[in-house]
Amino acid sequence: MARRSKIHVGIEIGTSKTCLVVGEVKPDSAIKILGIGETKSAGVRKGEIFDYAQTRACLRDALAKAEDAADVEIGSVYLAVTGAHIQGVNHRGTYRLPDGEPVVGPEHVEEARTIAREVQIPADHVYIHPIIRNYWLDGLEHSTSPVGLFGKTVEADFHVVHGIGTRIQNSIKLVREMPLEVDDIVFSPIATAQMALNRDQRERGALVIDIGGGTTDYALYIGGVITASGCIPVGGDHVTNDIHLVTNLPFSKAEQLKVTEGDASGDPARSVGTARLHDDRGFAEVEVSRAVLNETIRQRLEETLRLVLRQLPDGAVEAIGAGVFLTGGTSLMRGFDELAYQVFGRDIYRPESPEISGIQASFRDPRYATAIGLIRYALIVEAERVSPPGFFGRIARMFWPLGN
Amino acid sequence: MISHSRASRQIIDPASVKVIGIGGAGGNLLERIALDGMDAAGLLLLHADARVLASCVTPEKIHLGKSLLKGLGAGGDPELGEKAALEVEADLRRAIKGQQVIFVCVGLGGGTGSGAAPVAARIAREEGAFVVVFATMPFAFEGKRRREQAEVAIRELSALSDALITFDNNRMGELVLAKQGAHDAFAATDRIVCESIRSIIRMVTRQGLIHLGLDEMMRALGDGRSHCLFGCGTAAGKDRSSAVLRQALASPLLDQGALLKKADTVLVHLCGGEDLTLLEIELLMQSLQKFVPLDANLLFGAAVDPAMGSSLTLTLISSLPEGSIEVASRESSESATAFEPAPIVSREPEIAPTFEPEPAPAPMPVQPASPMEDDLFVARHVEPEPLMEPARLESLDTAPEEYHHEQEQEVDVAPKPAAPARPWKKSADSQAGEQQKVKLSVKASGAQSELSLDSVPRGRFEGENPNVFEGEDLDLPPFLRKKK
Repeated sequence: MARRSKIHVGIEIGTSKTCLVVGEVKPDSAIKILGIGETKSAGVRKGEIFDYAQTRACLRDALAKAEDAADVEIGSVYLAVTGAHIQGVNHRGTYRLPDGEPVVGPEHVEEARTIAREVQIPADHVYIHPIIRNYWLDGLEHSTSPVGLFGKTVEADFHVVHGIGTRIQNSIKLVREMPLEVDDIVFSPIATAQMALNRDQRERGALVIDIGGGTTDYALYIGGVITASGCIPVGGDHVTNDIHLVTNLPFSKAEQLKVTEGDASGDPARSVGTARLHDDRGFAEVEVSRAVLNETIRQRLEETLRLVLRQLPDGAVEAIGAGVFLTGGTSLMRGFDELAYQVFGRDIYRPESPEISGIQASFRDPRYATAIGLIRYALIVEAERVSPPGFFGRIARMFWPLGN
Repeated sequence: MISHSRASRQIIDPASVKVIGIGGAGGNLLERIALDGMDAAGLLLLHADARVLASCVTPEKIHLGKSLLKGLGAGGDPELGEKAALEVEADLRRAIKGQQVIFVCVGLGGGTGSGAAPVAARIAREEGAFVVVFATMPFAFEGKRRREQAEVAIRELSALSDALITFDNNRMGELVLAKQGAHDAFAATDRIVCESIRSIIRMVTRQGLIHLGLDEMMRALGDGRSHCLFGCGTAAGKDRSSAVLRQALASPLLDQGALLKKADTVLVHLCGGEDLTLLEIELLMQSLQKFVPLDANLLFGAAVDPAMGSSLTLTLISSLPEGSIEVASRESSESATAFEPAPIVSREPEIAPTFEPEPAPAPMPVQPASPMEDDLFVARHVEPEPLMEPARLESLDTAPEEYHHEQEQEVDVAPKPAAPARPWKKSADSQAGEQQKVKLSVKASGAQSELSLDSVPRGRFEGENPNVFEGEDLDLPPFLRKKK
């Protein structure tokens, strides 16, 4: 099906940075990044906005930069949301076919889907995504809709992501004030996974961990379908704060020390001597024992990874075949892959963005994984929307929204 | 009545106050009151189930319908409950005789509570006591039948009691997280009702600097059928005056103080230790002014009780005319099945047509004030359940002051989903500020065990709600946390 190339924009309002990515989706589904607008975030803590005025200013700045860089006028965007209040649950809806109807019809499947989507969520929560995982027909797994097959019981397995409604509304409101239209909201790790994982890796089982400034988001894919997702309110900010609290250095120095000297591997050979920061004249301004610095960082990150590990369903780690994919700014920490290997015992990757033309080098940065993932998400959602109804529509729906 | 120089101040002897719990919910409330240690007030349990009676800790018990129900419950039938209560009318009359104030706590909807509560209220009135009924309405999920039974009982009680304060369990459910069990929701209701009883008893039994008595309370509760607004809070440490106000306003019956905006009479009672300063009172009243209309009739009372130690309690009582709450309450539209979105108060001392052997004893009996005997309610302790590890208890013992402080923080975050909802516990314990009380309050608090760390610096996350995830405060460096 021929399509014109289309421009999508992804916004991530992160704890450390706000970034807009403008991407052009070519007819062959390759993504070309036209421009990125990035600015340091203010007023965001642990992935949630606490100072709207500041965050609005940052977003406006990032928007201006992105429009300049891409030379397009941005009208609508895909927005990534995160925060500890957002969680994903799996739910299965079962529908028993009425007597005398041996063949599964579209309405039966629809009924099963409706039941599956009706997860009990707290009163103040709203659904963000209901993601179809797979169908079951009389206990047999079907990755596509079983319409037209003989059967008695249709089941639809959904992964439902939900979060506190008002907080999500406020994020949307902020973007609308730009003014920008919000095409869709996406839970960050799900967007990240679009970028970080290809279909093969999803099939074999993969865990994406996006450690950003304020939150650690994760999404687990097993057998090609999303199995778990969630957010832990810990990120790079916490590492800096820990260094600040342990060593009593000011935040700026703690941050600098973390970026230039920190190591999370726990390798004793890298924890010898002292780490120094030099001032303009070359004098050592700050001195911290590497053993303390590295241990502070390692304990924080190890705890965070173990929290992620604990959130995963039983036996999930054993099912991860492709490996653990780390993204987000904090994953740039030295020795982090070694630490992650100690925790998960699986292959560790820091993914690079595939299929991007343009000034690629800068976009291979894991810090942009979520925003670029949004473009890919947009591509998938768009593919579903423009599909003609009928058979093709059902095929597309099977891919919807995440190409599983 | 005897004339005494203090008679006009209407101090009520704590020993002539009795709390009667009826049925299952009433029994739970009494247990909580007994566990938290109630000032000298007597506790009496009326229950039809012999097993419950045997296991309850209250000193006085009356077995309802011993021959009618044969030691079993009323099985959800109010008629049986009523008959069972009538069977023991003589015992009940004896137990109530001579009491000045009777608090009847009852969970409506079931058999024993809905049936026996009107009987108990009538007998108490006939014995000349001032009757205050605290009734909880059933949860919506308990079904329509129970709701109807509760409504019938409420109508009877509103005619029989001097003051009726109802707590709708549906609203109480806001106190707990959505994912917490029904058990927690019931426990939260018990806590708030217990706290209400305690604060009213405190108000009428303490002689105050500026005294408030039952007459002012009646005034604040309004005269017809009206919605009761009630909030109370306890806090210690610095900034306690604003903390108590926050707590009191956080009561689900006040809707963050929004409902006070329409009240025309508000009763404010403040009770503190000997270090209560005028400045604190001033500050508190100033901030309260923002929540009440300018022309509201503020009935202000203050009392000093050395047993309060360094803590401060605030009680707010007011009422809104029936029907005015629908617009004010954001919950009302959601709880379509709810009978009333908020509690109702009614006070109709004149209407008691069926049993009026003597004139309604509305005027308060007065007695010379007896000095507060604090050791009386200290003695009433029950051994705390050792749900906390001993190490934690020790750490709390050494720092009771800090503990109180943390409790306040807890209360702030209570409506948010991240925090354990146990706000109604503390005032009782902090009341005397003794070690034993602190221990008591710690029982069953589970998730709060981390809070003792709250006093360490938090750097960038200073002043935020604790970022509790699986029982650990993630804002603190693991490097420091794990070393302990």
